[in-house]
This record gives sequence, C-alpha cells and structure tokens, in this order.
Amino acid sequence: MAEKTYTFRVQRNKVTGDGKVESRWQDFKLAAEPTTTVLICLEKIKGHQDGTLTYRMSCRSAICGSCAMKISGRTRLACKTHVEKVADADGVIRVSPMTNQPILKDMVVDIRPFYKHVHKIKPYLQEGPETDKNVGRSSYDQVNHVTQCIMCGSCYSDCTMAEVSDKFLGPAALAKAFRFVSDPREGMKTARLRELSEENQMWSCCRCAQCVETCPKDVKPMEAIVKLRTRGMAKGYVDGPGPRHALAFHGDIQKTGDLNEFTLMQRTIGIMGTLGELGMALHLMKKGKVPSPFPHKVEGVEELGNIFRILEENPLDVETKAKEVAPE
Amino acid sequence: MSLEFSFYPGCAGKQVQKEAKSAAHAVARELGITLHPMPRASCCGAVSLREAGRNICTICNTCLQTLSHANYRFKREPDVLEKINGVLKKAGVRPYGATIKVQHLLWVVVDMVDPKLLKSKITRPLKGLKVAPFYGCHNLRPSEIYESKAGDEADHLDRLITTLGGSPVSYGGARKCCGFHVMLSDPKEMRSMVATNCLDAKDCGAELMISPCTLCDMSMSAYQMPAEKVVGKKIGLPEMNFAQLLGASMGLDAAELGLERLHVDPRPILKTKGL
Repeated sequence: MAEKTYTFRVQRNKVTGDGKVESRWQDFKLAAEPTTTVLICLEKIKGHQDGTLTYRMSCRSAICGSCAMKISGRTRLACKTHVEKVADADGVIRVSPMTNQPILKDMVVDIRPFYKHVHKIKPYLQEGPETDKNVGRSSYDQVNHVTQCIMCGSCYSDCTMAEVSDKFLGPAALAKAFRFVSDPREGMKTARLRELSEENQMWSCCRCAQCVETCPKDVKPMEAIVKLRTRGMAKGYVDGPGPRHALAFHGDIQKTGDLNEFTLMQRTIGIMGTLGELGMALHLMKKGKVPSPFPHKVEGVEELGNIFRILEENPLDVETKAKEVAPE
Repeated sequence: MSLEFSFYPGCAGKQVQKEAKSAAHAVARELGITLHPMPRASCCGAVSLREAGRNICTICNTCLQTLSHANYRFKREPDVLEKINGVLKKAGVRPYGATIKVQHLLWVVVDMVDPKLLKSKITRPLKGLKVAPFYGCHNLRPSEIYESKAGDEADHLDRLITTLGGSPVSYGGARKCCGFHVMLSDPKEMRSMVATNCLDAKDCGAELMISPCTLCDMSMSAYQMPAEKVVGKKIGLPEMNFAQLLGASMGLDAAELGLERLHVDPRPILKTKGL
C-alpha cells in the first residue's frame, strides 16, 4: 500500500508550578501506510522529531490498556487504531489525553480517579452465604463478556455522566461489579446489589451507550449495567428514583398501554421530591407542557394484560449472552 | 418509492412535546410521506413492531433505539423470536415475522425523499444561519442495531442543515447526552449536561440548535433555563425539533409547527433570516 503524509495534531500539556495545565497544539507531519497504527506513528515522532513527546504504552497488542488516548474525537487504544480510520479529509489526526482524569504531561493522565471507583466495588471474590461451589459450563455465559475488560479506562474517559460527576462509578467499575454479581462462586451477591442500588452507582448511568461504542474489547458495559439494575430490582431494591421510575413504566403499560406522564414524577421521586420540583412544573406549564391527567388507553389493552400475565407466570430469559471463549 | 409508514410518535410526542408531532405531520404532508396512526401500539416494545404491518417511523430517539434493538435481535436470534411469538400466541396476539424496518423520520427526509422535491419545498432558506446539530444518543449507539448510518458516521442532521441553506456547527457536544433519562434521579448532573452541551455549541458560534428527538428537545430547550441556574451562566440558545426548522424553511404556519411552545424562542433569530 502506498504511503501518505498525515498531520498529527497533538495536544502538548504541561503542569505548571501552581498546578494549572498549559495546553497547546503541535503539528507533526509523518508518512505512513493507511494501516499503520497511531502508536507506531507516535513512536516515530518521539524517536525522530521530538523526544519530549510523552505518552504511556507497553504491549502494542491491545491487552495492557496503557495507550488509551483521545484520537480524533473518541478515546481509543493507539496500538489498535489504524491512521486511515481516524484521519479527516485533509489527513489530520487529532491526538489528546483521556478526559475525566487529571492531566500529568502530554497524553499521560493520573488514572487514580478511575481506579478509585474500580476498587470501590471490591474487585475480588468474597466468601459469604451465597457462595456456590458448583460451577457449570453455562455459568460463565454472562461473565465471559465483561472479563474481556483490560481496565484501559477508555469508557470512563468518554462517559458522559463522568464528565459532569466525579462521584459516578463509571462503566468499567460497574461492568466489573456485574462480573462478580454473576459469578456463582461469589458469596455476597445480594449485598453487592444492595450497595450498587445506592446513589451515584448503577442507577446514575444516563444510558447514552457511549461506553458500548468506545470499548476496544467489546465489553458492552451499559448492557451489564442494565442487567445489574434488573437483578437489583428482583432482589427487592426498588426504593430509589431509578427503580421506581422503571416500575411506574411497567405498571402503566400493563394498565393502559401508554405512560401516564401526569403522575410519573410523583411516582418516581415521591410527594416531597415533587414539591421540590414545583418550580420546574410551573416553568413547564408556562408553555403548556402539562401532560393530561387522564391516561389514554391503547386499543386492545387486554392483549397487553395477557402478555404481562403470561410472562409473570413463566418468565422468559432473553438476556444477551457472550459466546463461550475458546483458545484461539 | 412509496413513502408509507406506521407512525410511532412516542409518549413525549403525544403530550409534552406535541409540537414535534404536529411539525412532523406538517412536513410529511408537504413531502408526500404518509404516516399511518398506530392505535394499538403501546409504549415502546415488541408488540408495537407486530402491530405495524409496514415499516415504522418515529420521532423519538429512545423509541427508535428500543424498537431497533428488539428488531435487531429478532432478525438475528430466531430462538428469541420463537419464544416471544409463543407468548404472543398464548395472549391471543398475531405473531411477528421480523420483517419490518424501524426508521427515524429524519432518515426518511434526508435519505428517502426525492432530493429535488425536498429542495423545491425550501422556500425560505436559512441564509447561512449557524445551526448546531444535536444528535442525541439513541439514534447513534449501539451503532450496529440501526437501519441507517449511525455512530460517528451519522451525518443526517448536518446534511439537512446544509440542504436548508444553513451552516452546520462543528462542536464537541453534538453526539453527547441530553441527560433526559437521569432527569429525576440525578437532576443536577442532568442540568450540567444540558448546560455543557449548549455552551459548547454557543462557543463554536451556534445561533440555533436542532435535534431529531422529542426527549432531547425537552432537555435542551425546556430545561435550559434551570440548567443556567446550576452553572450560573446565561445560555439563551434556541433549540427546536428538526421537523420544526424544516417546516419553518418550507414557510409553514408557525402555529402548526408549535413554535410558541418552545421555552427558548427561536422566532427572533429565524426572523433575522426572513423566516
């Protein structure tokens, strides 16, 4: 394949004496083949053009997770990203550090905030009343998916909730939590679900699915978060606004087929919460944005009732499952 | 190609964001798109797919994602389809053949309507108005489930803005989250998302923002003033549904497009361009 000259527009970052970050963009030109990886290009730039360029890297094989950085708008592993895929029409590739974590130098960030959340979910098996010593072949249908995680932090860097909240656990930590909740050997499954039902944990995911799109290892963290929520509710942890909202939807569809938005807020955040939101309600009313108090019934609602009844009597397992992992 | 769809406006489109539904009907009428009602459709789920009988078209991203995700799995996992159809049969409901496609009205307008017809209807072009496209999440991700370009590849809003004679604004928030789904559980964070995305668009020169989703509309427009309070900054960026802007540049009646129902009024900025 023919070589082409690309422009690497690299964010250079320096922490000054007073702890502020000074950023500037620097262009490096480099000839490369379309399938050359961004990491190889960065190494050539560091080796031949500017030795002060700083980034993390180690395995070059998308398994150590060190070289995660923002490349042309999204967080990717530099060692797994071909230049042609991320170059714009003018051959420009933008490279900057991961976001949602403090910058140390150039592309290197302090990964402690990310790991702090991972440690919070106790990323190890615990002895306890729910330990099951029988581990069957299908036991890992669920776990296989999330064990592909290499803790590169890409999902956390692109997480739209982490952008506005440093308390939110983030996709990787929650996917890891799901891995332990689903492991038959784990002894504290229910205790984990109780803790995960608290604030800033599984119910604070805004379901933007950016982590599913970003993850270089196809872990699909948001899917794991949704499954955690279902398991938490099944264990009776239905007290927060998240589960109450879900239950309100469930009840309305069963009864009328449609949402009763008029009472949805009160059923989600309670009377006191609703009073706190009165200002917002008045603000919405100014433009006539008030749902009808009389819920609309869809035609054939009795069929919906039948479907719910049948599913409650004989629940269906339609969860996505990962394929069995065999040695390549 | 006959452009006939079962129309699935979604809960917000039927009530609090009914201006988007009214605008959708207006532009569909002008562009020869027939939108059939779905009287038996419930809040989004597999039942709605079966009810359709013809391809579905919606104006809510979250409905689009829910319906597309179910449909994607039905088409690829025959055992799941069989299980679900077993339940439908027991409930006295006709089974679903996994044959229909789930579309967004935006895709229909941009990709299926004859471009010459669309162009001929634009009687009041935007004259270079700087418009920020806000895609929202659930028409983009996970990209593999959709029947049109999705993920980072999706460019429907940008192309529509260009067709209307406007200039699409490139900014970091275009594919981020409006926070609608954590509006009640994490109200402060939700408002921060609204503020961050709107301010980002404004900093990049946007004079107006459009979205293809009734839920994004509600966040970015109705919640913009509350968001200003959280960040302590004035934003003042008018936001409207893509169908409303499309209707306005077709010269359709402002009342039919429900422009008076928007919290940050787009009419003053549209007026400067003769709309």
